[in-house]
Formats: sequence, C-alpha cells, structure tokens
Amino acid sequence: MIAFWIAAAAVSALAAALVLRGAARPAPAGDETLSLHKRQLAEIDELAERGLLAEGEVRSARTEAARRLLSAADEAATATRQGGRRTALIVAGIAPLAAVVIYVLVGAPDQPDQPYAKRIAEWRASDPRSLEPDAIAAVLEAAAKEKPNDPEPLRNLAILKSALDDAPGAQAALRRALRVAPDRVDLWTALGEAFVLEARGQINDDAVRAFDEAVKRDPKALTPRYYLGRGRILKGEAAEGLTLWRGLLPDIPAGDPRRTVLEGEIAAVARDGRLPMPEPEAAQPQVSPADIQGMVDGLAARLKEQPDDPEGWVRLVRAYAVLGDAAKRDATLAEARARYKDQPQVLDALTAAAEVPR
Amino acid sequence: MIAELGAFCLVLALVLSVVQAGLCGVGGGRRLPVLAGAGEGAALAAFLALLAAFGCLIWAFVTSDFSVSNVAANSHTQKPMLYRVAGAWGSHEGSMLLWCLTLTGYGAATAVFGRGLRLGLRSYALSAQGVLGVLFLAYTAFASNPFTRVFPAPVEGRSLNPLLQDPALAFHPPFLYAGYVGFSVVFSFAVAALIDGRLDSAWARWVRPWTLAAWSLLTVGIGLGAFWAYYELGWGGWWFWDPVENASFMPWLVGAALLHSAIVTERRGALTGWTVFLALAAFVFSMLGAFLVRSGVLTSVHAFAVDPTRGVMLLSILGVTAGAGFILFAWRAQTLAPGGAFAPVSRESAIVLNNILLSAATATVLLGTLYPLIREATGGETVSVGPPYFNLTFTPLLILAFIILPAGPLLAWKRGDAKGVAQRLGLAAAIAAGCAVLAVVLISPRHAVASAGLGVGVWLICGAAVEIAERIKLFKAPGAEVKRRLTGLPRGAWGTTLAHAGLGVFVLGAVYETTWKVEAAEALTQGGRLSLGAYEVRLDSVAVHDGPNYLAERGVVRVTRDGAAVCTAQPERRFYPAGGQTTSEVALCLKGVDDLYIVLGERRAGPNGEPAWLVRAYFNPWVRLIFLGPLMMALGGLVSLSDRRLRFAAPAKAEGAKA
Repeated sequence: MIAFWIAAAAVSALAAALVLRGAARPAPAGDETLSLHKRQLAEIDELAERGLLAEGEVRSARTEAARRLLSAADEAATATRQGGRRTALIVAGIAPLAAVVIYVLVGAPDQPDQPYAKRIAEWRASDPRSLEPDAIAAVLEAAAKEKPNDPEPLRNLAILKSALDDAPGAQAALRRALRVAPDRVDLWTALGEAFVLEARGQINDDAVRAFDEAVKRDPKALTPRYYLGRGRILKGEAAEGLTLWRGLLPDIPAGDPRRTVLEGEIAAVARDGRLPMPEPEAAQPQVSPADIQGMVDGLAARLKEQPDDPEGWVRLVRAYAVLGDAAKRDATLAEARARYKDQPQVLDALTAAAEVPR
Repeated sequence: MIAELGAFCLVLALVLSVVQAGLCGVGGGRRLPVLAGAGEGAALAAFLALLAAFGCLIWAFVTSDFSVSNVAANSHTQKPMLYRVAGAWGSHEGSMLLWCLTLTGYGAATAVFGRGLRLGLRSYALSAQGVLGVLFLAYTAFASNPFTRVFPAPVEGRSLNPLLQDPALAFHPPFLYAGYVGFSVVFSFAVAALIDGRLDSAWARWVRPWTLAAWSLLTVGIGLGAFWAYYELGWGGWWFWDPVENASFMPWLVGAALLHSAIVTERRGALTGWTVFLALAAFVFSMLGAFLVRSGVLTSVHAFAVDPTRGVMLLSILGVTAGAGFILFAWRAQTLAPGGAFAPVSRESAIVLNNILLSAATATVLLGTLYPLIREATGGETVSVGPPYFNLTFTPLLILAFIILPAGPLLAWKRGDAKGVAQRLGLAAAIAAGCAVLAVVLISPRHAVASAGLGVGVWLICGAAVEIAERIKLFKAPGAEVKRRLTGLPRGAWGTTLAHAGLGVFVLGAVYETTWKVEAAEALTQGGRLSLGAYEVRLDSVAVHDGPNYLAERGVVRVTRDGAAVCTAQPERRFYPAGGQTTSEVALCLKGVDDLYIVLGERRAGPNGEPAWLVRAYFNPWVRLIFLGPLMMALGGLVSLSDRRLRFAAPAKAEGAKA
C-alpha cells in the first residue's frame, strides 16, 4: 500500500511538472496566417517556375493569394497579455489532490494485486481441503507445467475434472498425460471413460479407440475390455459383446463385486439380447428394512440347504456387515472361512466383504 | 498495486483533462499564453497518464489478475499471450480506455504540433478536445471502469469470445479507433474556429492533415475488419451491411467528403460553412458508431456492452457534443464570408458534386441503419434492412460518383475546360469500355451488369493514370522534361492518384468476387472429394489437435487442378472449453489475387456409418483486390500527409531551407 501511494505521488508530481513546464514555456504567440499566405505565394511561384501551372492560372492564383494575404494582415493577431503564472501554479498543485479524492471514491488503494502465479503459490502452500475444486485444478495444472515429464498431476487433474462433470477438460488433461506416458494403460482407460462420460453412457468411436489402445498394451486389462464388450452390445452386436464379456470373467478375481454385476449383466443380455434399461427411480418399489432383513434371512436359509455357494457366503457376510449386525457377520464369516479354508481367493473376498464400510 | 495505479492514472487523466479544458479556454479567451501553455502541458500529461493506465491494464491481463473484474470477465489463464495483451481492448471497458487513450493522444499531438498556430485557434481547439476528454473519461471512470476490482477474485477467468481470439484483434480496433477518434481533432478545430470567429483557408489547411490521418487510419481499420470477417466467420462474406459496419462506414464517407471540401476551402476560401459542417459531422458519426455498438440496441459480434444505462449515457454525450457543435455552427453561420466564386464546370464544382453524392450516400446508409431501430423502438415489427436496399440506393449514387471522379483532378480551378478534359479522358474511357465488352464476351457465365462494373473499375484506374500522365506531360514533352516533372510532382498528387486507383482496384475486386465466385458443399468421409469449378477438393484426413486453449479437429485438405497439386489446406473446427463455444478456422489458399477458401464443418455420420465432415469450399476470384484497394487508398492518404505543403510545425525550417 505504501508502494502504491509512492507511485501515485510520483505520477502526480510528473503530471504537475508537465503542467508547469507548459506554463513556463508558452508557445510563441505567432500568427501562422501571414506566414501561411506567404508560403502559398512562394509555392505558386515554385510551381510556375517548374511549369506546372498554366500562364493565366499563375496570375489569377497570385492575385487571389495576395488579396487574402492583405485581408489576413488586417485582422492580424490581437496582442497577448502577461500573467497567469500564479493560477497555473495553483492548478498544478490542486489537480493531483483532486485526483486523489476522486480515486478514493472509485478505487481500492489497500487491495494488493492478485497475479495468478502468486495465488497459485498461496494455494499450494495451503491445505487442499480448504480449497475450491477450481483452485485444486489450478494447482494441479501448475504442477503439471512444473514437471512436464510427470503424468501424475495431469491424471489427478483429469480425475478432478471428471468429478466436476467436465469431460472435455478431463480429455484434454489425459491427452496431455498420454503425450508424456503413452504406454500407461490406466490413462488410456480413463480417456475412454471420459468420452463415455461426455456421451452420457454411449460408447462412441473415440472411446473405442482409447479402450483399444489400452487393451493393446495390456490384453488382461479389465475395464477397457468391459467397455469394449458393452460398446458392441450397445451397437446391437450382442453375441460379440457377450463373447468379450465371458472372456473377461475368468480374469476377475472371485469376490470382486464387479464379478457379480457382470454376471448379472451377462444373464440379462443373454436373455433379452440387450442391456437392461435402467429403471426409472420413481418406479422402484420402496424397500423397507424389514424386507431387507427378510431377504437376508432367505439367503441364510438357502445357504443352510445348499452350502456350496462361495458367492452366496460373500454376499451374506457383506449383507450382515452393511446391516451392522456384527455378531451374525462374525459367525457367518467364521463358518464360511472354515468351509473354504483351502481357497485363498474366497477367503480374501470374505475378508473384504466383512470390511464394507457403513 | 499495479491495478490500483492504473485506476489512479485514469482518474488523474480525467482531472488533467478538466485542467486542459479550463486553462486552455481561459488562456485563449483572455489572451494569456502562460495559462494556455499550462493547459497544453496538461494535455500532454493526460495522455501520458492514460498511457500508464493502459500499460497497467495490459499488465493485469498478462499476469491474469482476476481480482480486476474486467480481466476475470474477458481472460483465461490458458489463453495465449498475444490474446491476453490484445484482450485488454477486446471488451467494452478496455476498449473505452483505448478510445480515451487515442483521444488524449490526439490532444497531446495537437499541443505538440500546433505550436506554430495562433493562440486563439490553438487554445480553443485544445479546450474543446479537453471537454471531449472529460466527457469520455468521466464515462469510463464512473460507468465503465476497467480497473473495478472484485473480491474474492474468481479462480479462473471467463475467457474472451473465441471469434475475437485472432491476431487481427491486435490491429483492427487500434486502427479503427485511431480513425474514429482522429476526427475529434477536426471537430475540436471546427468548434475552435467557430468560437474564434476566424474560418479561413489557414484553418482548412490545418484541418486537412488531421482529416487525412484519421481517414487513412479508418480506411485501414475498416479494411482489416472486412478481411477479418471474411476469414473468421466462415462463409466468405466481407461486407454484410451490418449496422456496426455501417456505423464505421458513415464517418468514413463523411471524412472522404471533408477531405475534398477542405481542399476547396484552403485553395479558394469557398465552401467554408460546408467544410465546417462536415468537420463537425465526421466526429458526430464516429460517436454514433460508439453509441450503437455499446448501447445494446444492436445484436452483433461487436455489441459487447449490452447495457441500456450505459447506452443512455453515451447517447447523452453524443447529444451534448453534437448539439453544442451544431448550435455554435448555426450561430456563426451567417458571419461566414463568401469565398471565391467558381464556374459550374470547374474543379470546385466537381468536388461539390462529389460532396453531394457522398453526403447522399451517407444519408442512405444512415437511414438503412437507423430505420429498423426506430421502427422497433416505436413498437413496429422487427424489420431488417439488407443488401437489396443498399444495392438500390447506395450503389447507384456511388457509381455516379465513380463516373465523374476521374474528371475532377483534370479540371482547372475556377473555370474548367469540359471539352479538353473529355478529350484527355477519351483513351481511359475507350480502355474501360473495351474491358467491359471483353468481360461480357470472355467470362462465363455472362453477366452484363457486372461486366459494366468491371469497366467502372478500369475507368477509375485509367483515369488516375491519365491524371499523372497529364501532369508530367507524358508523350507531349521531351523525355528530360517528363523526367523533371515526374520527380518534381508533389507527394499530394501521388497520394491522390494512388487513392483513386485504389478505389478502382477495390471496385474490380468487389464486382468480380461477388458475381463470379464458385461454391460447393458436401459431407465428405476421409478420402472423399468434391469438385469446385476447375478444382478438386479432397479431404485426406481429420485428426484431433490440441490447441493452447481449445481442442480442434483439423482436416488435411488437398486441392488439385487437372491432377496437379495446387495446395494443401488445414481447416479446423475448434472447441473452446472455457466458454463452451465452437468456431471454424478457415483455411485459405492464396492463388495470386484469388482465394481458395475451405471450411471444415461439423461431424456427422456418413452413408455407411463412418464419420463424415461437412466441407464447404469457395473459389473467390480477385477477392484480394477488395482488401488491396483500401490499403492503396490508405497509403495514398499517408503519402499525401507526408507532403511538405501540409506540414505545419516547421514552416520556418522550410522557408529557411529555401533561402
């Protein structure tokens, strides 16, 4: 703020100095009219000399210019007067003061500049949780610029942009990240997902290209293969899509919840030839806690009769965990662990299911 | 601190303009050179203060200081540096600052170059210029302040309209404003001479260089704008009779009339009243343009301030300024001395006819621009006045002006020799008629009216050539004499010839391009082709391209003619995520004075489901002449300006050199 007032004072002083300099060196109180007419006469002579004016024209032009010279001489400049120095001095002094008064009305002298670079530095120094998403994006952007060979900030930026529903922003960030790390499968996958986000669930050519790139680099990658299959089904090529999806199943670890979802979808597509339409939310029947309890009890009863169903056990453990029934969860978990103690995959899935956060 | 310093400098410039208006007015009225000198110092200081303010605004844009609300509304961190700098005048507030900077710049120039003038004229003119400065600076500081702060500052700016993100933004507005505002000096000198009561040839001589400068710069500005519209808007037009274009065209027409009438006033002391009237009108039309663009009465690319309150304020400034000027004119009109007499056939009469036609043309443009607005304001239905109206009213008037134009410079002052002039122009007329006939015969499809139009263009160019030939007595005097005359010609003569020939070049381009352009449009898949007259246009590929602040689909288009490669063009379709807008980046293949103009349109599904793009291609023959012509005209104006006969500041030096 001090710097501002010093600068403002310097500018004001300069302005006042220019006003006073003008007062100290007034222009000669000449009258250009006479000199102009004299020059006009000289020019006519010059043109005539060069033969650029016809003979008769020269004479009449000269007569007319002379006539105007005489009339101009008649009304030649009125005498000028001295004085005015004190007025000039007062005005030069008052003007900056007036400027300060008006400035205080429209300006904000105590507000420092906020150049972007300085704000970024402040954001980086502060707790990210206190920042707006846009500010976090700006920080990530700055980090990406700082480390042009590191795709991580850009990947994070893309995640943030996706979360903000800014698909083009996410795509741009991922494309930049891929320029740095063209072999990162997760980046290609994320790019494809950004296209899917933009197309509101449709899997367009851009998305297919991105997922293909991902699969090319990691033929076992689950997500891009899933979307590629889904894309075929959406295009009406259900058989091809199902083949892709069925090929995917063995690669999904048992107990991975995605497996259940996929199995459900495979069943639906095999039955209807197309993906199940997402049911409108209002149409879904309200499920009461009692109903849920009933379903869980039904599952438990079924497992008593047909105990060889690892997925059923996992589901039951997860259900008890979600319902908050710790005692039944632990009992079920112990029973299932005993049953599948030689199948580490199932044991892992069971442990994961028991830890479902509330 | 920088942003606030800018705000302070803006306010300081306002106060200094008050000082300039007051001290120069009192100094001129009481014959006190000391006070007038102090006012001149204030004029200089106001300009420097605004220069500093403008620098501060550019700094805020360059550093993306979004606590300045104008930066937040019109910039973005991803925007390339050029557009961050030029973005400073891409918005209403910033461009008002540019307007004020130009206004005070002309004031400072008047103070510096006008030191040889008599005290009364100089002081009153600077006082009037100061009053204009006060009005516009007060408007800028209190109603459109570009330094207004916003807290908390937004994280990211809203970015600039992508249509404006073009290198032309760096040049088009500054030239245009230098032209518009240049007429303020002419206005101020008219007011000064009316107050002073001395309207003579000295006044006209002083007004002429300023008119020339303003008019030349305005010509460049309008030409650049036409070229920008041509390649940016994506459908190959260069003039739309858009109200904003008309708003810039009216001061240009009045300025052109003023340029010519001022010559008569200077040489013969005649037409004084009319010249003063035009001097006032030129700047009034400039202000009308500013009002139309900024008031929200129009919808256009240019209408960046859609705010009725601001519109009312600008209308008030316009009303006060124009009212004061014209009342003063009415008050003094009777006292104007009649000037030298002239015969019906004379250079003066030709210029009077030129002025009548240009004024009538201005009136038709004014009517066509304001009629829809007035009708809408009075509750009538919305009407749009377009090319058919202007072709019926404006064009015939200008054609008439073009036909008499070459005769003007050949006629003598006071009493001309009509028969002699007709003889001298005979050859030019014969060539023009010959060209028109050839055009009818050779160019297909046949078009009689357009061929005649080409004849008019040739007539203007040949007429300009005849004028120079006459002046140097080509083929009539021995070689040495011709050479001596050629080197001795004043620059003003070259300027006249260049400007008149430039007009002819423009007419040729405008007629040819409008009549014989070829266009084709088709949805092409990659590898698809379409034919455009003799050319074949092939869309080789389309790839995604990441720009600094946009995503683009960039097509590679190969143009061939009879199998021979002509050029490879890369049109783009850009998406600017910051504002969610899409623009077309046209690709131009320059072939001599012709253009191949290729636009990549939106993506759609092709016949077999593969992606296809709507490709539009135009062959615009002679289109470059449309932009070359105005450049020649502006250059003509500047060459005239450099004529030492127009230099006012150094009369003593010139006389000294001769002695």
